[in-house]
Amino acid sequence: MARILCVAEKPSIAKAVANHLGGQARAENVRGIQWVKNYKFDYNFQRWGQSSVTFTCVAGHIQASDFHERYRKWHSCQPSDLFEAPIVVHVAEDKKAVATNIEAQARYNNILFIWTDCDREGEHIGTEIRDIALKANPRMQVWRARFSNIERAHIIQAAQTPIQLDEAQGNAVAARIELDLRLGAAFTRMQTLALQSMIPQQGEQKKVISYGSCQFPTLGFVVDRYLRVRNFVPEPFWYIRVSHEKDGIAVKFNWKRGHLFDRMTVIIIFERCLLSKQAKVTKMQKKPTKKWKPLPLTTVELQKMGSRFLRMTSQEVMKVAEELYTKGWISYPRTETDQFDKDMDLRKIIEKQEQDNRWGNFATGLMNGGFNQPRNGRNNDKAHPPIHPVNYVNPSQLNDNEKRVYKFVVRRFLACCSEDAVGEATDVEIDYGGETFNVHGLTVIARNYLDVYPWDRWESSQNLPQYTVGEAFEPTEATMHDGKTTAPGYLTEPELIALMDANGIGTDATMAEHIAKIKEREYVIARPKGGGAGNGGVTERGGGRGRGRGRGGRGGRGGAAAQNGGGGTGGVQEFIPTTLGVALIEGYDNVGFETSLSKPFLRKEMEVQMKAICEGRSTRNDVVQQNLEQYRAVFNRTQQQINVLKDVSRAGPKSC
Amino acid sequence: MANNLVAELTQHLNSRHLYPAAAWLQSFVSSTRPNTPLPALKQTALFRLLATDITTSLQAPANTIFPHDILNPRTQSCVVAGPVVCQVLDMEDIGLSRWAQVEQIEAKERGEMTKGREVVRVVEDDNEGGTVAPAVTSRGPFKLLLQDAKGAKLYAVDLRGIDGINTAMAMGAKLLLRDTDVRRGVAMLEPANVQVLGGKIDALDKAWKEGRKQRLMNAAKMTGEAGV
Repeated sequence: MARILCVAEKPSIAKAVANHLGGQARAENVRGIQWVKNYKFDYNFQRWGQSSVTFTCVAGHIQASDFHERYRKWHSCQPSDLFEAPIVVHVAEDKKAVATNIEAQARYNNILFIWTDCDREGEHIGTEIRDIALKANPRMQVWRARFSNIERAHIIQAAQTPIQLDEAQGNAVAARIELDLRLGAAFTRMQTLALQSMIPQQGEQKKVISYGSCQFPTLGFVVDRYLRVRNFVPEPFWYIRVSHEKDGIAVKFNWKRGHLFDRMTVIIIFERCLLSKQAKVTKMQKKPTKKWKPLPLTTVELQKMGSRFLRMTSQEVMKVAEELYTKGWISYPRTETDQFDKDMDLRKIIEKQEQDNRWGNFATGLMNGGFNQPRNGRNNDKAHPPIHPVNYVNPSQLNDNEKRVYKFVVRRFLACCSEDAVGEATDVEIDYGGETFNVHGLTVIARNYLDVYPWDRWESSQNLPQYTVGEAFEPTEATMHDGKTTAPGYLTEPELIALMDANGIGTDATMAEHIAKIKEREYVIARPKGGGAGNGGVTERGGGRGRGRGRGGRGGRGGAAAQNGGGGTGGVQEFIPTTLGVALIEGYDNVGFETSLSKPFLRKEMEVQMKAICEGRSTRNDVVQQNLEQYRAVFNRTQQQINVLKDVSRAGPKSC
Repeated sequence: MANNLVAELTQHLNSRHLYPAAAWLQSFVSSTRPNTPLPALKQTALFRLLATDITTSLQAPANTIFPHDILNPRTQSCVVAGPVVCQVLDMEDIGLSRWAQVEQIEAKERGEMTKGREVVRVVEDDNEGGTVAPAVTSRGPFKLLLQDAKGAKLYAVDLRGIDGINTAMAMGAKLLLRDTDVRRGVAMLEPANVQVLGGKIDALDKAWKEGRKQRLMNAAKMTGEAGV
């Protein structure tokens, strides 16, 4: 009989999977760590036949990397030495008992079956487990389970079809760990030593000004926006409005130019309009329009929506989603994939939601013919499906935050499986004194997915009277108005996530952590949005925006939807950099923009190379060397011009 | 021979509604090398003339300049038949706030317009109605300050979009205006009535480009403080 050692990434997964496979598995305590249990049971694997199984777990990474002892003290070497100082990998102090348990178990078993999460970090943790186990028992066979949720059938399927560890992904993480250590330590020491004397100290504690290759670009976005807000100069603009009453309806036409920033020109145009007396209809178009249902849910999207609509920070959202996943209610919440596999039986998932008293009826509607295959996005990480509910859970079993996130995941999923909202758009365009004015109307005909997904807005506008092309009329009123451009708001969390995503900073799984880090390090402070200028379009928005809207066709977007209703943005957080945060970014920018650490370029490249390792197009060693070289150039340049950095910190930001 | 050449060149330039001053033509002819073929000389003359300041290099027959009462703000509308030759002294994008233009120039200075160095600052969102005004490239309209051969200055607006008229154009570029509607002392440029002859005035162009950002910043701050 085969003896199989299974190792999961965390206790909750070990327990859940062991119970799926072994029924009420017997839990044995492990010496030295209360939270790790070894579950013992028998199981009949397709590949190995009836086997005796020990199911245990680790808790994240077991190994830690650090510099050789000689380099560990701050003043023991030049910070630049850390670019090549030898690194020792060892079992982390607090993970010794975990490692000992695996070693001990490895001696009694002949097959190692790894159940870490199926993502890059999980793959790397898998290699750590393997190395420890093989050291104790070199004859062990090593396998890995592929799973993306812990629903019973899925787990059993994974147990029957083991695969091999993906060495490439493990290597990508190893490269990341080495780069983070070297760059983080070198830059942190350099900038702390240079600036420490200038930073106010809190009590006796020496403050470290830490550097991270993701945190700095993240901070860079916050500072960039902050400076834009602070430097902003409001400017007046002028525009013309035309109204006409027809069939008892007051129609307000908007100037296609939006507004102009020259009063004299607008007055002359306005006069030309008034002199022409008659306006002529040049376009009358009614056409069917749709509001597309949302794409399948990815991690980044969940974080953005979470911080926008669920009154939670991205980090909280991820924590809760993680819990819902380990309890088996939703699928793995770290995924880039926004397309469902064609073979996936989505109806089965919908069916489970029919019992709910909030969206059950909608689910039933989908089961009775309303089902539509979800739209396909452009991303597929080939590891995990989009986030979706796995099982139905009664809300009484969840806490408040869990309820919110679960509700969002379910509603989003049902919306994906529903139909686009359908409406009719009416566009009327007139020529008046050589200028074009238009009005857009929307009638929503079928709400469809909107019924289950309250976070999208699409509402009918007023009805428009019937016009015909060529029809001439005298406007009831033509008026000239003025307005002022308004400053953008401070960067909000969903915006920051979107920017990190678009600029390639961090992975879906780590973005929330980077944001939390820059808060924790007091480079930025977060506050609920709403105070001050920022609540959106009081007058018209800043210059280009209004015009862009006026010009481009609005597509399927309804007039009402474009107006930023304040209601939805209740708990959004906005970020403001601290004096230190601004000083750091301005300092690095002054050293040289091309290579500034506040800009996303270098880090983006690193992220791309990480992918290249995963796909076998590059190696760990090449990527590490190449990146060290690039960052070393920045490092040297910064060190040469360290006074530039000091100057900014000494002066503090120009005004605060 | 020289007289003949002057006549040939005069005819060539006149056919383009350019009436060079005798002094300019003389100095041009004296600067040419003998044996240069005539077609090449004609081209060079045109090119050189377009690079001059027309207030000194052109004669000003009445129909090629603006009427003297053109700036009268009480005139609702009058049509200037022309063709009037004029040079562009200044131009402003009035479709974009000055501050937005400053931000654009700064992004360019930071090298963000170069490939691989773009920073995404705005992510469009379907529901939120976008976040911050994206720095769109403006298509105007543009307000220009024109000057004729007599030195008279006139504002003009390009409301329809005319090829060759944009913020990248050279200052001192020459335009030919026909049948132009001038309202309240401002010329309304129409694509059909404007011919862009090109050329520039080097010194003016250089100073204009170098000072543009500062001018925009000052103007933004002034109008901003004046408030509405």
